[in-house]
Amino acid sequence: MSLLTVEELGKTYNSGTKVLKNVSFKVEAGEFVSIIGPSGAGKSTLLRCINRMVEIDEGKVHFDHFDVGNLNKKDLRLLRTNIGMIFQHYNLVPRLSVIENVLHGRLGYKTTLQGVLGKFTELEKERAFFLLKKLGIEEHAYKRCDQLSGGQQQRVGIARSLIQEPKIILCDEPIASLDPNASKVIMDHLKSITLELNITCIVNLHQVEIARSYSDRIIGLKKGEVVFDGPSHRLTTDNIDIIYGTENRETRELITV
Amino acid sequence: MEATTYIKRTHDGRITIKSGNKVERVMSGTLTVLTALTIMAFIFFDYTGLDLGEAFPATVYNLKTMFLEPTLSHFSWGEAFYQVGITLGLAFLATILGAVIAFFLALMAATNLSKEWVSKTIRIVVAFIRAVPTVLWVLIFAIAAGLGSEAAVLGMLFHSIAYLVKAFSESFEEVDQGILEALRATGANWWHIVTHAVLPSTFTYLLSWTFLRFEINFAVAVAMGAAAGAGGIGFELFMASGFYFDLREVGFITYMILVLAIVLEIMSTRLKNRYFPDSSAN
Ligand SMILES: Nc1ncnc2c1ncn2[C@@H]1O[C@H](COP(=O)(O)OP(=O)(O)OP(=O)(O)O)[C@@H](O)[C@H]1O
Ligand SMILES: [Mg+2]
Repeated sequence: MSLLTVEELGKTYNSGTKVLKNVSFKVEAGEFVSIIGPSGAGKSTLLRCINRMVEIDEGKVHFDHFDVGNLNKKDLRLLRTNIGMIFQHYNLVPRLSVIENVLHGRLGYKTTLQGVLGKFTELEKERAFFLLKKLGIEEHAYKRCDQLSGGQQQRVGIARSLIQEPKIILCDEPIASLDPNASKVIMDHLKSITLELNITCIVNLHQVEIARSYSDRIIGLKKGEVVFDGPSHRLTTDNIDIIYGTENRETRELITV
Repeated sequence: MEATTYIKRTHDGRITIKSGNKVERVMSGTLTVLTALTIMAFIFFDYTGLDLGEAFPATVYNLKTMFLEPTLSHFSWGEAFYQVGITLGLAFLATILGAVIAFFLALMAATNLSKEWVSKTIRIVVAFIRAVPTVLWVLIFAIAAGLGSEAAVLGMLFHSIAYLVKAFSESFEEVDQGILEALRATGANWWHIVTHAVLPSTFTYLLSWTFLRFEINFAVAVAMGAAAGAGGIGFELFMASGFYFDLREVGFITYMILVLAIVLEIMSTRLKNRYFPDSSAN
C-alpha cells in the first residue's frame, strides 16, 4: 500500500468556486515530489487537505492507516504528529528561542498538562540539539528566532518538523522568501531528509528548474486539476506551457529561470 | 482638451490638503456647537451674589493654604500611610483578580482562538459593562453588599475585567495566524497553542495593559473611598474637605496622592524598560 493516496479529492471554500477538482495521485515512502502550478491553482489547499488543516469536501485521502477525512479529534492529532509542515514565512514564534521553537514539534505527543507546563524529556532536548547541529545552526540554539536570517529560520522550521519524527513533510513554498544561496541550502537539506531518513517530501514550488533538479516526480496543478504527473525528466516545455498557460518564450523563461 | 484635475482648491484658489470628507465635517461641526454652548453657558450663569473682586483673592488664598501649608491635623503620618496602603490594596486586588479573570475570558473573546458565537457574546456583554462607569457599578453592588470596600472592589473588578478583556483579546488577535497554523499542524492542542505561542507573543502587552489599569484603578479607588465609603486615603480626603473643612489637610493628602501617582508611573516605566527593552521597538 502506498504511504499517501489521494482519490478524487474535491474542495470548495465558502466563496463557491471549486479550488480542487477530482485530484488523484499516490505517493510512496521516500519519494520527493514537487507540486508546481500558477498562483491560485490550489497548491496550498491540496497540502492542507493532507493533514486536514482544511476540511475535505469530496473524495478521500488515505495516509498510512488513517482515513484523513474521517478522524475524531484524538486521531486527528495523532495524524498530524506523523506529518511535518514547513511554511514560506517559517511561522516560528519570534519571541521564543530557537530551541523552544524546535521543541514545539513535540507538543503533539503531550497531554494538555505536560504541554502547558513545557515538560520536555532530556531525550527530546538532546534530539533537538542533534537536529540543530545537523542543520548547522547549533550555535544559535539560545537566540531569539527573530534575530536569525530567513535561511536560518527556515532551518529551525525544518528541525521543528523533523523532531516530530514524521513519515512525510509538507512544504508550502519553503524557499519563496529566500535568496538563491539560502534556497539551495534549504533544498539540499530537504533532499537529504528523503535520502537519509526515508521521509517523504511534498514541496510546493514556484521555480520549475528547482523542481526539476531536486524532485523524483512533479505534479502540475492548474485551476485545481492535475494536468501533469510524472517523473521530473519527463516534464517538457509543452507540459510547462499547459500548466502555466504560457504561449511565448519570454514568459516561459520568467518561470523556468 | 482639458485634463481632469484631482487637485482641490479653496474658493480663493489655494490648494487644500484636507480631503473634506464627512467625518471631518462632522468633527468641525461638533466642535463649533460645543464652543457656542460653552460661551452661552457662561453668559446665562446666575451671577447674583458673586463679587469677582472678592472671590478671586479668596480662591487664591484658599489654594495657597491648601498647597503651601500642608499639614496633618486629624491623623498621624503612620495613619496616613496605612490609609494609602488600603487604597493601594483596593486597587491592587481589583486589578490582579481582574487581570486573571480577563485573561481567560479574552481567550474566549479572541476571534482567532474561539468559536464565533462565543466571541461575539462575550464582546457584547463586555461592551455593555464597559459602557457603565465604574462608580455606578460600585453603587449597584452596594445594593447587595452594602456601601464599603466589598462593593468598591467588586465594582472596580467588574469594570476592570470588561476593560482588560477588550485590551487582551485585541492583543491576542494580533498574533500571526501562521504561527497558530504551524503549531496546530504539529498536533498541538488548544492549550498548548495558548501557552506556547499566544502567551509568549503577547505577554509584554498584557503586562502593560495591566499596569495601565492599575494606575486607573488607583485613581478610582481614591474616588471610591469618598463616594462609596470604601475607606483608604480617599475617605480621609472626603472627611478633611467635607467634614472638618481643613484645607491644610486636604493639601497634604493631595500631595500624597500625587507623589504616589508619580511613583507608580516611574515604577511601571522602569519595569517595562528593564524586563521588556524591546517592547517600545515593536
Ligand atoms: N481560507 C480560504 N477561504 C476562501 N478561499 C480560499 C481560502 N484559501 C484559499 N482560497 C482560494 O482558493 C484558491 C486556491 O488557493 P491556494 O492558496 O490553494 O492557491 P496556491 O496554488 O497555493 O496559490 P499561491 O501559489 O499563490 O500560493 C484561491 O482562489 C484562493 O482565493
Ligand atoms: Mg500557496
